[in-house]
Amino acid sequence: MMVAATERRRQVLMAGLGTALILVMGTVLFFGFRLATQMRTSISALQTASTLQTYPETIAQQLNSLRDRLEVRAYSGQALSELQTSVKHVDTNLRQLEATGDADGPQLNRARLLWRQYQPVLDPVVSFTGQPYVDSDTAGSSLSSEGRRHYAEVKRAQLFANENARPLQTHLAALATALQHTSSDAAARLRTLLLAGVFAALVLAVAAGYFQLTRARHERAAREAQDQTRYILKSVREGFFLLDADHRIGSVWSEALSHMFSRNDFAGLSFEDLLKDLVPTATLTTAAKYVKLLWGQRAHENLMKSINPLGQLEITRDNGHGSKETRYLQFDFHRVMAAEGIKHVLCSVSDITASVLLARELQDSQDNANAQLDMMLGMMHVDPLQLTSFLDTTETSIKLVNTILREPARNDAEFRKKLAGLFRELHSIKGEASALNLSSVASRVHVMEDMVSECKKRPELSGNDFLPLVLKLDELLAHLRSVREMAARLSVLKDGAPTPPAAAGAAGGPARAAGALDELSPTLQSMAARLAQDHHKQFRLSVAGLADVPAPYATTIKDCLIQMLRNAAVHGIEAPDVRRNLAKQDAGAVNVEFRKTPGGYELVFEDDGAGITPQNLKAAAVRKRLVTEEAAQRMDTRAAMALIFAPGFSTQEGVSMDAGRGVGMDVVARSVANLGGKIGVSTHPGKFTRFRVVLPGVDADSAAVA
Amino acid sequence: MLYEQELKTFVDATTNFFSVAAQEPASIGSPYLMEGAPSVHEYTGIISISGKREGVVYFTAPKAMLTVMLMKMQENDFSHETMRDLVGEVANTISGNARRDFSREFVISVPSVLSGEKPDVPQHAGRRSFIIPINWRSHSAKLVVSLS
Repeated sequence: MMVAATERRRQVLMAGLGTALILVMGTVLFFGFRLATQMRTSISALQTASTLQTYPETIAQQLNSLRDRLEVRAYSGQALSELQTSVKHVDTNLRQLEATGDADGPQLNRARLLWRQYQPVLDPVVSFTGQPYVDSDTAGSSLSSEGRRHYAEVKRAQLFANENARPLQTHLAALATALQHTSSDAAARLRTLLLAGVFAALVLAVAAGYFQLTRARHERAAREAQDQTRYILKSVREGFFLLDADHRIGSVWSEALSHMFSRNDFAGLSFEDLLKDLVPTATLTTAAKYVKLLWGQRAHENLMKSINPLGQLEITRDNGHGSKETRYLQFDFHRVMAAEGIKHVLCSVSDITASVLLARELQDSQDNANAQLDMMLGMMHVDPLQLTSFLDTTETSIKLVNTILREPARNDAEFRKKLAGLFRELHSIKGEASALNLSSVASRVHVMEDMVSECKKRPELSGNDFLPLVLKLDELLAHLRSVREMAARLSVLKDGAPTPPAAAGAAGGPARAAGALDELSPTLQSMAARLAQDHHKQFRLSVAGLADVPAPYATTIKDCLIQMLRNAAVHGIEAPDVRRNLAKQDAGAVNVEFRKTPGGYELVFEDDGAGITPQNLKAAAVRKRLVTEEAAQRMDTRAAMALIFAPGFSTQEGVSMDAGRGVGMDVVARSVANLGGKIGVSTHPGKFTRFRVVLPGVDADSAAVA
Repeated sequence: MLYEQELKTFVDATTNFFSVAAQEPASIGSPYLMEGAPSVHEYTGIISISGKREGVVYFTAPKAMLTVMLMKMQENDFSHETMRDLVGEVANTISGNARRDFSREFVISVPSVLSGEKPDVPQHAGRRSFIIPINWRSHSAKLVVSLS
């Protein structure tokens, strides 16, 4: 901007100098022409005056000659003619001098006055046209009467001319001298004028030279500055460019931009066009609005900086080798102010990929450390035997998951067939992990469940869709190994006793038929406490008879109780304020009882919560597209209640760790059915929900209590 | 822990080889994990990786599959050496893509080829491998990624 102002000032100066030079030259030429004209006139008048000086004497001689000829009766016509010519010359030249302004002075007036006195005397002479002689044979030639009169006039004129010739000559000489002075003066003025003009032209030329030199110096400095700017823009690792009021990029930018955006056509490119193929539409819209805001005169720069939506922008670009890479760019904006307001917005772009990845790694490391700490704290409350049992069971389930994955598949149907089994196994692992409050395991399995859910929604499945799942499975196995190692260390810390041998990976030791169900009660209590906290509920759990569960039923009974407890916490028990409004106690009650019956065994699970209404079940089934609206309307209460056990059914809108997928009760029902048992539900809206699981008796060998 | 993008680089390199060289795309089967050394087919092209990741990646294919591939490639020579060259070429493609996509933190070896029923595939004890079946026409090969 400063450079532009200096350049403008220099241009104005040069224009001034040019104008001054033209003015000087014009003045010199104009006045020089006038003086030259004046000089020519003066010289011409001087020549005329010089010529005139000879005429008074000439006229006097001509008159003498004419008188002499008349006296000797000689031919006088020639003399008279010469006199007439001289008189005429004097008249003409005096008129010319009068017409010349330069000669019009006292000298000319005096000469003119004197010449006027000549005229009455000369006029009769020069105007004579008669015959001055008469010839006779006797007397010869003699003057005629006209001749005598003419002779007298010539004589009188001769006398006058002889007397006045010198004064007239003097006047004319004075006139010539005056004219000579005038001419000399004009020549001197012309010389002075020319000298002044040359001097002024020289001064202006020197000034122009000086300014030209200054300009060259400034241009050199500007070129150096431009070179330096170019070097900076070429070397700097940040991308720099200016945005104008139309949000278009200026003609100067740093070369780093080319690398960042894999293009070179930045000049005139709009900011939106720069980003449009790199960021989602929503981000692009936000960025455009933000840049527009930057042009607001009253927007506070620091405030604007704090709401910059492009502080860490993730872009995907071609890495130059035919594949894509993800980079993170940071955009900073600074307003460039001028007297009239915001002139430009300077945008600097930094590639912060390395620091983002480092921060992410640090965060991951921190999260990992926190997770391990949480896990350790959680594990401290779990019985070591229960934990070992969980790890064994989980590893067996994972092995099953891997076996399902290993089944060859080439088409959508074969891939899709795997999903249900994967779901069941993963859900079972998550249930047990939640029961033991092992959130690090439960959350990992939850992510895998999400992946399986996503796969279900895809129109066409291929092996590619299962790659992320296998990666997560590997991660889960690694995590379980660290849980086992940590459990071993905790065990050493707790009692100094060696821990049960650790199974390695998916090929770990065989699963135990069931956990120790007499130890399930504290696990359920712990799970109940977590569920109550997570879902902002209050309830008391009372458990009875679990020590009597026969070994073949242990796993199923455990899965049933975990799933039912989740359902009770999420769907059954109301929030304390709701319960208060219904005149119930703030804390709900959940009762579990397992008992032997004459025909076998019975598990009763009951909560005093909101109960289940067929209408809610039907609405949820329609929402989940398990049945059509018409089919739902035709359902009786019994059919509606059976929806609870339908695969994919849940009354929950979203998916959480504890509910929403609809893969709980169907698994429970299938497990019970596989054992030859039955499951039923009875409910009273606003009062209670009761699940009753009836199982057949078992033979003596396998009836050993789990 | 292996990242999805890393696994995809190996998988894409393998399937692209079939699209380009054999002019018929391959699909991947259901991937799974395996403890210890997975079984291999007659011909195995292998690359070793060190640096940020340590381990091996190999493509192992049965002779029948390689024979059909060579036929599709208009080859008349079905010798043992040609088969070895072909699996070596697949391993070379995997190596090239890995060099292209991964940073300098990965050091990737020159591909080598093993053949026979029980070749001595370098395997780290106790390391899990990702097995990705590569299905092409009616044949099936395996891409094994065993990295830590």
